[in-house]
Amino acid sequence: MKRLAIIIATTTALTGAALAADPWDGGDDLPTNPLACDDTPGTVAAKDYDGGQTTGAADKSGKEITLIDIPKLVGVGYFAATTEGMRQAAEELGNVKVTTDGPTEANIDDQITFIDNYVTQGVDGVLFAANDPVAIAPVLKKALGKGIHVVGYDANSDPDAREWFVNQAEFNGIAKSLIDQMAAEIGDEGKFAIVTSTFTTPNQARWIAEMQAYQESCHPKMEWLETVEAQEDNILSFNQANTLINKYGDDLDGIFGMTSVATPAAAEAVTQAGACGETAVVGLATPNAMRPYVESGCVKSVVLWSPVDLGYAAVYVMRAVVDGDLSPGDTEVEAGRLGKLQVVNGSEILLGSPFVFDKSNVNDFDF
Amino acid sequence: MSVEARATRAPFAYHHELLLLIVLVLVVGFLAVGTDKFLTVDNMLNQGRLMTEVALVALPMTFIIITGGIDLSVGSIMGLAAIMLGVAWKNFGLPLELAIVFSVAVGAVAGFFNGLLIIRVRVPPLIMTLATLALYRGLAEGISQARSVRGYPEWFFVLGQGEVFGVPTQLWILLVAIIIFWIVLAKTTFGRSLYAIGYNEEAARFSGIPVDRIKLIIYSLSGTMAGLAGYIFVSRVSTTRSDMGTGLELDAIAAVVLGGTSIFGGVGTIAGTVIGFTLIQLLKNGLALSGVKGDATIVVIGTVLILSILVSNFLQRRRGAGG
Repeated sequence: MKRLAIIIATTTALTGAALAADPWDGGDDLPTNPLACDDTPGTVAAKDYDGGQTTGAADKSGKEITLIDIPKLVGVGYFAATTEGMRQAAEELGNVKVTTDGPTEANIDDQITFIDNYVTQGVDGVLFAANDPVAIAPVLKKALGKGIHVVGYDANSDPDAREWFVNQAEFNGIAKSLIDQMAAEIGDEGKFAIVTSTFTTPNQARWIAEMQAYQESCHPKMEWLETVEAQEDNILSFNQANTLINKYGDDLDGIFGMTSVATPAAAEAVTQAGACGETAVVGLATPNAMRPYVESGCVKSVVLWSPVDLGYAAVYVMRAVVDGDLSPGDTEVEAGRLGKLQVVNGSEILLGSPFVFDKSNVNDFDF
Repeated sequence: MSVEARATRAPFAYHHELLLLIVLVLVVGFLAVGTDKFLTVDNMLNQGRLMTEVALVALPMTFIIITGGIDLSVGSIMGLAAIMLGVAWKNFGLPLELAIVFSVAVGAVAGFFNGLLIIRVRVPPLIMTLATLALYRGLAEGISQARSVRGYPEWFFVLGQGEVFGVPTQLWILLVAIIIFWIVLAKTTFGRSLYAIGYNEEAARFSGIPVDRIKLIIYSLSGTMAGLAGYIFVSRVSTTRSDMGTGLELDAIAAVVLGGTSIFGGVGTIAGTVIGFTLIQLLKNGLALSGVKGDATIVVIGTVLILSILVSNFLQRRRGAGG
């Protein structure tokens, strides 16, 4: 019996050691660009425009346009907030009509079918947040080919399948914020696990890869335990977080929630397990969903940009494209109350740096 | 007994398909009035492209349900086959052509395994395929390491995104498949054996029908078609992911049941299934084009399913009382 236990322990240790060298589950294999450990801003390499072009788009400069917005899924707080931002922008502009429609689950096939139908129906522009960057590309190219303008936000597609992409925050910036927050809460030798949507969801995969790169260079003694998939499903996220708590017990110092669904679910799991203060939760989420946990002190800080601003910017960018105010080669674009936004990385528009909210400011936001 | 059963069954089946056909025509007419984007050659062909995967899986599903069985694992088999295509090509270094054959073969083996356990261990198909629904999806995720495979060469997309004689490539495959499945079910001993098994499995056994072999064949067939659907899907969306085909089984079963195949076995036709998946696809598309939002569309589909079952039950009972 004793021998068995030793064998199991050794095997586990060996497997653990073998895994440590591997990339974290749920990260992608694209090159990473971790920021400096202090606050030195990252360098942005200049890059030529790499987006796509419409063929035979009607000139609707200054005229009323009809837009369709297809987020990853409908019925969750995050995309309700982007929809609200789009509504605000449309109201300000006065010559934009925007409707949101999409699948009720973050399913690539459903999303493609939705876009396909709207392309057939005929709209002036498509706004999208991709469930898969490559799978969505053919149908977006089809839209471009029919003279429909295509602008992405939140989750990118292949660059040449859309004209512009509104980037809510650069991946390495988010990764740095998340890891720094976690290190501040669980210390430089803490162990943590990650709850993500699926291992191939583009944003999450990028963030996780960047988080690994940043952690290895700036907090090398922290230890990653596991990444688990939870779609963007409340119950599944809760169960997965709960499993992590039960599985690792005291070894688990912190949980990262990589989606706006996973973070509150992880916070709820920690609260129900009575592990507040022992297991930290750091992640991306909307203030409304996190307010109870931030106020109870179970969660110290949440990292996010404003999804309302994100939706708002997407509509302004679309309007600028239609009006000819944003063309390949431009370096900035006017976006209403957000002022001038920078063009980065060829054909992306950067919303700004990520925002960390905590007990002191969580009540200033309502989305 | 068997003569009598056939006599009451045939006219009923005829009625149900006729009824469905009328519903289909009404729906198409109604939607065409609602929006001028719906009834165009372009849109119809495009819808054909989008429904091919479900349709290919619904055909063998009809066979299985006629025997009183069910196959819940088709969506997972599709995901597994898709992943194996990518992995065989990228990681094993097989030529892409061979990788395609390999992936369809993986589907066939997965289906064969379902069939084998169903006949050998006598696990009810519902339980067995529910288990492999989880098993195959888990394999797909494990093997792929949850990384997607991309970067296929241009020729690979001809099947999923290209056209032959102005018609989406995969529709030709579907058309051939429909004809073959129709002939097999309606015109061959094999097809009649399926009905016999569904009606009374014990009786079929005693009549010398090789029940086990037939079951093994149809579950393998189901896996093969799911593998083929996986290949077509990868070609259509140009990437491989382990979550492909999630929920496909429900779409396929809904189409088969809407088409008048009895979930208790013994009744069903390929024509019904074809009308079934066409009706569901056109309803989804037409409602979307008329400006109905996604969530409302699902409600309509559910309602149509319930109504069709109510009506067919009603007709069946009336026939029973009259005869």
